[in-house]
Amino acid sequence: MADTVRAVVAAAHRTVRAVIELACRELDVTVVDTAETAAAATAACRSNAPDLLVLDLDLPDADGFRVLTDLDDDRPGAVLVLADRADGDLVLRALRLGARGYVTKSDGLRELPATIRRVLAGERVMTPALEREAMGALGRMARRAREGADVEAGLTPRERQVLEFLGGGMTIGQIASRLGISPRTVETHVAKLYRKLGVRTRVQAISRAATLGLVDL
Amino acid sequence: MTKTTTDPDGRRIGFRQGVVVVEPFAVVRAGLVRIIEASHELQVVASAASAEEAMAIIDRFPGKRLVILVAMGLPGEQGPYGLIRALRERSPQHVILGMGANADPNTVSRALFTGADGFVDKNVEVDEFLTAIADSGEEHVVIAGPAADSVGSIAQGIERRRSATFRLTRREREVLEIASEGLTAREIADRLGVRERTVTTHLARIYGKLGVGNRLAALRLAARSGLVSIGEDE
Repeated sequence: MADTVRAVVAAAHRTVRAVIELACRELDVTVVDTAETAAAATAACRSNAPDLLVLDLDLPDADGFRVLTDLDDDRPGAVLVLADRADGDLVLRALRLGARGYVTKSDGLRELPATIRRVLAGERVMTPALEREAMGALGRMARRAREGADVEAGLTPRERQVLEFLGGGMTIGQIASRLGISPRTVETHVAKLYRKLGVRTRVQAISRAATLGLVDL
Repeated sequence: MTKTTTDPDGRRIGFRQGVVVVEPFAVVRAGLVRIIEASHELQVVASAASAEEAMAIIDRFPGKRLVILVAMGLPGEQGPYGLIRALRERSPQHVILGMGANADPNTVSRALFTGADGFVDKNVEVDEFLTAIADSGEEHVVIAGPAADSVGSIAQGIERRRSATFRLTRREREVLEIASEGLTAREIADRLGVRERTVTTHLARIYGKLGVGNRLAALRLAARSGLVSIGEDE
């Protein structure tokens, strides 16, 4: 029995789990555990060390990605992600977190045995449309990273501080006393920030800064 | 307004996307020009052997949107990344594609982070190469070649570069990149057209921000976080 492939199935809905288990049985893949929540899935992978994880992103306690980030390097070698929709950013995130396959539940369940077989063989499995979406998401990500780095490079240390405090929800007055400068000076910094960010209001500034990765919200 | 008709692949019929080939090796350049010209969808408007030539060429096509292939083996003061950055800043309407030879994810992430819109590898079939270039002209982000399997690693590489550049100014990043080529402070100063004293000041500030004490440690940290690549492909 040394060569049996062992799998953990993580999906909230019983029908989805049943379809996955059926596909695994067709391939002589042993389902060692099933989970209905992200927490249970993480625990199941930790205790079973499976070769394959079939992971539905739609879980009640957290999205499926949480399982992958929690497991980190301990995640199974083969991960197949199931999702409700074809979303470039989701696909990109799945790939970044080490998934080999990404299928939508509407289209992908039909071909599940073949998909699982390919994922186990080390192939990257997704439709050409999904791959294009992922590339688009990668391009957007690269552009945001680049713009963020450029904008940030143009900020003075003081401006960076003020931006961080703005992102934290502090008022001009609070920022002034925190930094030990006058509110007037803070307002000057804020005006310069708006210009460098290409925005006109505080909400826009925070939103743009968050998009560019300059502040964490 | 003319009605554009499209073929089954969605390409505009009768339209040939203009391409500029920037490739240092004459034989490779000639080969690339030939296969691109043989495509019905593409047309080589110019080719260049160096970054300087490429920048001069771009000025000749103010209105058009071109696809510019930048060979990652480009030598010279700017190198491929300097050219990508300069093209992005000067003419943002063009599509810039990094062109590698068995490029690794790190090269691709650096090219994308610097400003490339996509990446094609010479290690693909000719058809795939040409389709990728045509697709990029239609505003799709393309990554063709070995790196396409490493989209996840490329994304990670971009994130690493982004967080590593977190504290450095653009000039400091520039200095660090050039320093990674092994040049002395004097040589870096010559390359950037500034005084040697200015470079040593930048380096001191870089060491402070990265929390290291010397150039070697700075470069090691920078390489680990993907900020610079030591020993590029080609």
